[in-house]
Amino acid sequence: MRAALTIAKREVRSYFVSPIAYVLLVAWVYITGLSFYLLVTWFATNPSTGGSNNPLTMFFGQTVLFWIPLLLFAPVMTMRLFAAERASNTLEPLMTAPVSELSIVLGKYLASLVFWVVLWIPTLLYVWIVSRYGDIDLGVVAASYLGVFGVGLWYMAWGMLASAVASNQVVAAVLGFFVLGAFFVLGIAEFVHYDLTREILGYLSVWSHMADFSKGVVDSRYLVFDLTMATLGVYLTVQVLSWRRISG
Amino acid sequence: MVARGTTTVYKPAQEDTVLEVADLTKNYGSRRAVDAISFRVRKGEIVGFLGPNGAGKSTTLRMITGFLAPSAGRIRVGEVDAVRDPIGARRQIGYMPEGVPLYPEMRVHEYLRYRGELKGIRGRGAIDAALERSLRSAQVEDVRDRIIGQLSKGYRQRVGLADALLADPPLLILDEPTSGLDPNQIRAIRALVRGFAGDKTILLSTHILPEVEALCGRVLIVHKGRLVGEGAPGELRGGRGGVRLLGRGELDSYRAVLEPFDASVKLRREGELVAAELHLEADDAVEEVFRAVAKAGLVLRELRPFKTSLEDVFAALTTDESERSGQSSGEEE
Repeated sequence: MRAALTIAKREVRSYFVSPIAYVLLVAWVYITGLSFYLLVTWFATNPSTGGSNNPLTMFFGQTVLFWIPLLLFAPVMTMRLFAAERASNTLEPLMTAPVSELSIVLGKYLASLVFWVVLWIPTLLYVWIVSRYGDIDLGVVAASYLGVFGVGLWYMAWGMLASAVASNQVVAAVLGFFVLGAFFVLGIAEFVHYDLTREILGYLSVWSHMADFSKGVVDSRYLVFDLTMATLGVYLTVQVLSWRRISG
Repeated sequence: MVARGTTTVYKPAQEDTVLEVADLTKNYGSRRAVDAISFRVRKGEIVGFLGPNGAGKSTTLRMITGFLAPSAGRIRVGEVDAVRDPIGARRQIGYMPEGVPLYPEMRVHEYLRYRGELKGIRGRGAIDAALERSLRSAQVEDVRDRIIGQLSKGYRQRVGLADALLADPPLLILDEPTSGLDPNQIRAIRALVRGFAGDKTILLSTHILPEVEALCGRVLIVHKGRLVGEGAPGELRGGRGGVRLLGRGELDSYRAVLEPFDASVKLRREGELVAAELHLEADDAVEEVFRAVAKAGLVLRELRPFKTSLEDVFAALTTDESERSGQSSGEEE
């Protein structure tokens, strides 16, 4: 696993020497800032609608301004992982080094998770702003970030899988968007179904997932789901790499 | 699928075999890119893997280095079965892929440190030592702090060579090490490779014939995925050349005189004259031929020495019957 760390280190460095990381970060800060601003002004002008919600709980996953950018950003964050290396042929020296497919995949996955965490650092500013003008429950904030991390665990894994399957970065991003988008739509379909279907879809739903976590409810079933999906994504990526050795 | 499940333990046929490939085959769908290639490379050899573009050279090298899994066949690197233990095999190989893909955003020493860690060199001291040694061997010390993307192709190629040398592997596999370089850079790379001889075992691929003559002790010629020729460059040429002659007299008297020089002498009648073509081992043998013919009382009209080039051999081996009967294609560089 030492090789995985070596690969992760290089991958993180290459993330942050590429302009795309900064473009993404700036756009992300802008969009989340806008979302936060809209929520704060809405709560300020409609003081009676609060209930158990506040701008922070709403911010974490209960508006489309959170999910649409995220569904677009996540595949862009992972698109280069394998597709770029294949395009530039650097996958060949990597895969002929004495390291296993699993090390390579875990290394790249780890790097994408680092990027995911970095993406959320600027949002601490919103937490700080709310804390200056009202009381916030740090436990709820921690749960929100745990939820976000859980979503990242499998979003990054499946984005990486798209990058391993696709022949170039653009295809990887589009494919990743469709896969994550499909899960998202399937998830919110819980609102139009009943009974068992609704329960199953709700289990898949990142929206319900974040709705719980943003209110401070840590539902371990969602964490199990995140970890299962992440493991599956990593496993399938390893399979794709092995299959490519055979198919050429 | 990969042939697995066999419990054969490979015993080297010869003690000093570094690489052994047996019946190696690769199918891409219904197309067979490599067709049952077998060969052996002994310690300290520089072997040239020669063939036209698309002959299956890169595919074969990629199977040996584990980038591709063989469809059938066996590969042994040192004592390791490379099909069953690809990582163990890769540990013994320094590989420079075709085109030398590198990360352009990294500095040379950063890249080589990264590669050193990947190749399992443990500890800062050991990595530093390996880095210095390979920078020196590949003669890239002067660009150690430069960004790879800004280096000339010749330097990038040498950085790739430094990477291959990092973990001090016994076997170097170089895929087209001089392609795309200018003549000076080519000379520099060749001098480097020659310098590794003896210490390292080298398998390099090329489609440039002079390269093989300049570097390799032995040549493997591949064509359409098959091994079509093998031997020392001199051996393949079939001696150093020969002589064509045209003279007056009986065909049989020429045969009697010339057969001692070359048992497979080709003779034919051309009107009143006899034409002969024979291969000779030494340059001064031409004089001997002249003397022998004159002594037999035969009158010569023409005596023309010629040299077989490896190019002729290559063309003969890698041209299809159909192409050969048509016009000879002048595609060689």
